[in-house]
Amino acid sequence: MMEAEVVEKDAEKKLKFGLFLGCNIPFNRPDVEQAMRKIFPVLGVELDELKGQSCCPTWGTMPSIDITAWCAVAARNLCLGEEKGIDLMTACNSCYGSLNEARHKMLNNPKLMSDVNELLAKIGKRYEGKAKCRHVAWVLYKDVGLEKIKESIKYTLDDITIAVQPGCHFLWPSEVYPDKEEDPFNPVVLRELCEALGAEAPYYTRLIDCCGMGALRSTDPEKSFTLVKEKLENIKEEIDADLIVTTCSSCLIQLDDAQERLRKEGKLNFSIPVLHYVQLLALCMGFEPEQVAGICVTPRDEIINRIIKG
Amino acid sequence: MSNDEKPRIGVYICHCGENIAGAVDVKAVAEFAKTLPDVVVVRDYLFMCSDPGQELIKQDIRDGLVNRVVVAACTPRTHEPIFRKACEDAGLNKYYFEMANIRDQCSWAHWHEKEKATEKAKAIVAAAVAKARLLEPLEDRYIELTKEVMVIGGGIAGIFAALDLANAGFKVHLVEKSPSIGGNMAKLDKTFPTNDCSACILTPLMVEVANHPNINLLTYSEVESVEGSVGNFKVKVRKKQTYVDWDKCTGCGACLDVCPPKARVPDEFNEGMSLRGAIYIPFPQAVPKKAVVDMDACIKCGGRDFSGKEPRLSKSGKPILAPCEKVCPTGAADRTPYRDPNGELVELNVGAIIVATGYKVMDKHHFKEFAPEHPNVITAMQMERLISATGPSEGKLIKPSEIPKLLEAKKKGEKVEVEKPHTITFISCVGSRDNRYHTYCSRVCCMYMLKQAMILKEKYPDLDIYIFFIDVRTPGKDFDEYYMRCRQLGIKIIKGRAGGIQPLPDDRLLVKGYDAEIGKPVEVVTDIAVLATAIEPNPTLKELARTLGINVGAEGFLKERHTKLYPVDTMTEGIFIAGCAQGPKDIPDSVAQAKAAAASAMSLLDPGKMTVEPLISEVNKEKCTGCGICVPLCPYGAISLVECEDGKKKSEINPALCKGCGVCTAACPSKAITLHGFTYDQVLAQIKTIARWPEIPAE
Amino acid sequence: MIESEEGVPNVLNLSEIAEREREEDERVVEIVREFGAENLIYCMQCGSCAAVCPLARVGFEWYNKKLIKALLLGMKEELLDDPTPWACVACNRCTEVCPRQVSPFEVMFAVRRMMVEEFAIPTLAIEGLRALYEYGHAVYMTGREARKKVGLPEKPPSTDSDEQALKDLKTILKNTKLAKLGLIPMND
Repeated sequence: MMEAEVVEKDAEKKLKFGLFLGCNIPFNRPDVEQAMRKIFPVLGVELDELKGQSCCPTWGTMPSIDITAWCAVAARNLCLGEEKGIDLMTACNSCYGSLNEARHKMLNNPKLMSDVNELLAKIGKRYEGKAKCRHVAWVLYKDVGLEKIKESIKYTLDDITIAVQPGCHFLWPSEVYPDKEEDPFNPVVLRELCEALGAEAPYYTRLIDCCGMGALRSTDPEKSFTLVKEKLENIKEEIDADLIVTTCSSCLIQLDDAQERLRKEGKLNFSIPVLHYVQLLALCMGFEPEQVAGICVTPRDEIINRIIKG
Repeated sequence: MSNDEKPRIGVYICHCGENIAGAVDVKAVAEFAKTLPDVVVVRDYLFMCSDPGQELIKQDIRDGLVNRVVVAACTPRTHEPIFRKACEDAGLNKYYFEMANIRDQCSWAHWHEKEKATEKAKAIVAAAVAKARLLEPLEDRYIELTKEVMVIGGGIAGIFAALDLANAGFKVHLVEKSPSIGGNMAKLDKTFPTNDCSACILTPLMVEVANHPNINLLTYSEVESVEGSVGNFKVKVRKKQTYVDWDKCTGCGACLDVCPPKARVPDEFNEGMSLRGAIYIPFPQAVPKKAVVDMDACIKCGGRDFSGKEPRLSKSGKPILAPCEKVCPTGAADRTPYRDPNGELVELNVGAIIVATGYKVMDKHHFKEFAPEHPNVITAMQMERLISATGPSEGKLIKPSEIPKLLEAKKKGEKVEVEKPHTITFISCVGSRDNRYHTYCSRVCCMYMLKQAMILKEKYPDLDIYIFFIDVRTPGKDFDEYYMRCRQLGIKIIKGRAGGIQPLPDDRLLVKGYDAEIGKPVEVVTDIAVLATAIEPNPTLKELARTLGINVGAEGFLKERHTKLYPVDTMTEGIFIAGCAQGPKDIPDSVAQAKAAAASAMSLLDPGKMTVEPLISEVNKEKCTGCGICVPLCPYGAISLVECEDGKKKSEINPALCKGCGVCTAACPSKAITLHGFTYDQVLAQIKTIARWPEIPAE
Repeated sequence: MIESEEGVPNVLNLSEIAEREREEDERVVEIVREFGAENLIYCMQCGSCAAVCPLARVGFEWYNKKLIKALLLGMKEELLDDPTPWACVACNRCTEVCPRQVSPFEVMFAVRRMMVEEFAIPTLAIEGLRALYEYGHAVYMTGREARKKVGLPEKPPSTDSDEQALKDLKTILKNTKLAKLGLIPMND
């Protein structure tokens, strides 16, 4: 009896996270932001605005200049959660990677931690290393749970095959992340999340391969597109997916946008719509497609219609 | 068990899992075997050599069902002793056993022709049965063993083999061809993977050998002939003439410096990087520390040539002596008494022999592409001497081209500025893994290159060190950790064996390599280039192997009886091998092998006598005409003509020497020699069965 | 990128590289270790990192394994103009598979940090830094239509709409190496 009560209390404990937006999501793909803002209240998760947050900082900025500066910017963001006793939550793999790598460095290097706190002291802050950044997919998988997700949806994805793209910073380096796949080379979290919506989410050979986004794309778009093309063709050939679902905003942009470019150049003769998982979940919950999945380059109308109209 | 009983043969056919049954229809062979004359029992089993398989045979013997046993299975080489033992345990004379090899010679050879394989298996079984009908009971014999061992080679392997045997109470004769024991290890500066000083760990062992009451140390000696066989080898050892009275020589070294420049030759111990006199002690820690005269180098000062002549007298009436004898405080170098250039012949009787003659480092002059004539292109063994405290520069790292200058100054007692190297480059696999020279991997080069690089880098951190390699091979305990330490020290390790060395106008060298990791040709200006030349068998090893009657493999190293199971045994019983004579290996492996060889010799000799199969030849004196054809044919010298009571000469075979090879039996024109276990009747019965197949001869 | 100039052989002169290190009295390996690639020296050039590196896959010249080797040999100048380190997506698959815990990703970024000191930094990276300083967002878009279209307020609740927070961020940045390097104007 006692144990059961404890469990019940825990389950009732209100989940709360600081919604860490990053840059790509609020400025490039605000429909992903809107999807998050819609789905979590339904699932009983409270979101904090994390007022005053900034860029994580992303790889091309402070991490490329100086480790202390990188950690200081990351720590300021983490402080915003720590001050309220909550963790951060992001839908962007780059933010997830940068914030957690920075935290990992600070936790394992007392000198670095104190250097960072010296900088933070100038703005009246201090980071203890408590608050971390959680990934939205892990929160859904572990904290919310597949059952609750199943209960929350209005539409199921029968007869829809999904190619999942967890993205690199969802997986590696596993050492730095608060949540880890049992086998990072055969990730199952996103597949199970998709299956919870009623879809098929089979394995394909290039599932864990990089999409080619980020610095690679800004440095050499041609080379970047060869990677994404290889991946798309593999998805088409092996599982002929109806939809690509990712948990990374960068992967979302690359797979969606580069696909269209490849088609225009005559290098690709098919089209697979791409969604962030939070968008897909919002659609299944019945939210307005215009608001939660309204921004794309590769057309989504057909798949959205299939989802909504069955 | 009497032999007048009518044969009742049991045939036992083994499936050997799938090895036989996969190609041979075992049931069909069994059915067939039942039809053969005198066969009373036929059984087949999955593994006849297993305990339950053997039990089938034993039970049939104990039940009195069978008195001859034929097992159709694998090879007698591995399994005959097992089945003989089973027969013996059940109370049957073990020579009433015959084996039919239907695996190696049948199923394996005809794997894809099942019908034919089955037919052949039947024929093989029929032939074995035909022989089994004529088997006779035999009794084992014993030979006495001499509990003394000769160890050839006084390097680290020979030293350990000798010490282990001597400590166990065996008399050991340690034969070493050079004036001191110590071998190649004595030349090394430090040893991987612990970098302990080679001399520090070797010298105490050398001294122990010299002082051991059970060790007869024969340095400056070589094996001349070996006769006899396991347990009783008769060995002749040539003790070379030292031209110095070792009883008087104290090893003081006074004679070394006075030997004139004309008589000076490259010093073997310093790998030719310095000169020694004609009279010399190999190295400071030599054991025994005695001088010898190298007659090829000696210029016989004052006509002093050991011919027994008294010295000529000078005008002042003083005898004219050679400088060496003049300075010798004990008279050991006296050149007046006659000394036989042939030295002395020593005869030894030993029960076993351990061959541990070591290796030779391949010469650099084969490799024209690496500027071998250049003084700053050296072998790794020369590098050992260069960094050793007992080396030509007394351990100071200088360019080898500067050694003559340094030595000259030292002789004059002057100080001199010599150039030190800033860059050292190592090149791996020189002569190893090379179809032009040696196809094998020399096994120790990767590690000794790393060792030298590590020692140098730790001592001189400003040195730039490059190692060009094909693969770095470090498969030993603590070896890879050693390699990684080298990388962490900043030694630059480049994948790609260098392809050439060009001398520069000064005394430096341009090494041309390729960095496979970057994918570009690279060039390094280096002060010293070190070639990791291959390990080779000693040039005299083939001749020694012939003397001993043991085999060498294609690469010239001694061949072990079985790579995995009998790694220190040879095909000749009683002769064992250890160390680099068997193949390239490092010190830990050489020592392990030496100890294994010593233990093998001990377990052979310790019982004092050994069982010998009675499968040897015997002369029927009635039939022998004394023609003597057999005498020179016997490869073991076991046959001699002896005078009988009637005054006639007849052949006689020494059973202790006969190995049962059968040469005499086949050659005897009077059929007077019987090889027990392979008599005329037995072998003919087998042949007839096969020749008349598929008809089965009645008798 | 190293490309042989016309009439100059495509050979690496290791002695010159070593000489340069000696003249400048600093070993490239040590510089890179200072910049965060502490475990560089444990690399044994096995190539697992290159096997999974997206850059190696699409043909960049100085991908992880090769870059590490070049650094171990003391190369620096030859690498300064090369775009490879700046193309690294920090995917860290290399880190996950490295048997010697070198973290090739850290090496890539340490080289970026080394290049920055030599002002060998791509324009795009400068722009990202400027945007980070000005707005608190490296990727910053002035068009607010998309946000409005999906029903969100024009500005996110970030430094973009919080003056004090932006000031705090600037205070931090002004006290980091970014300011010392003077890569972007930080006068306000």
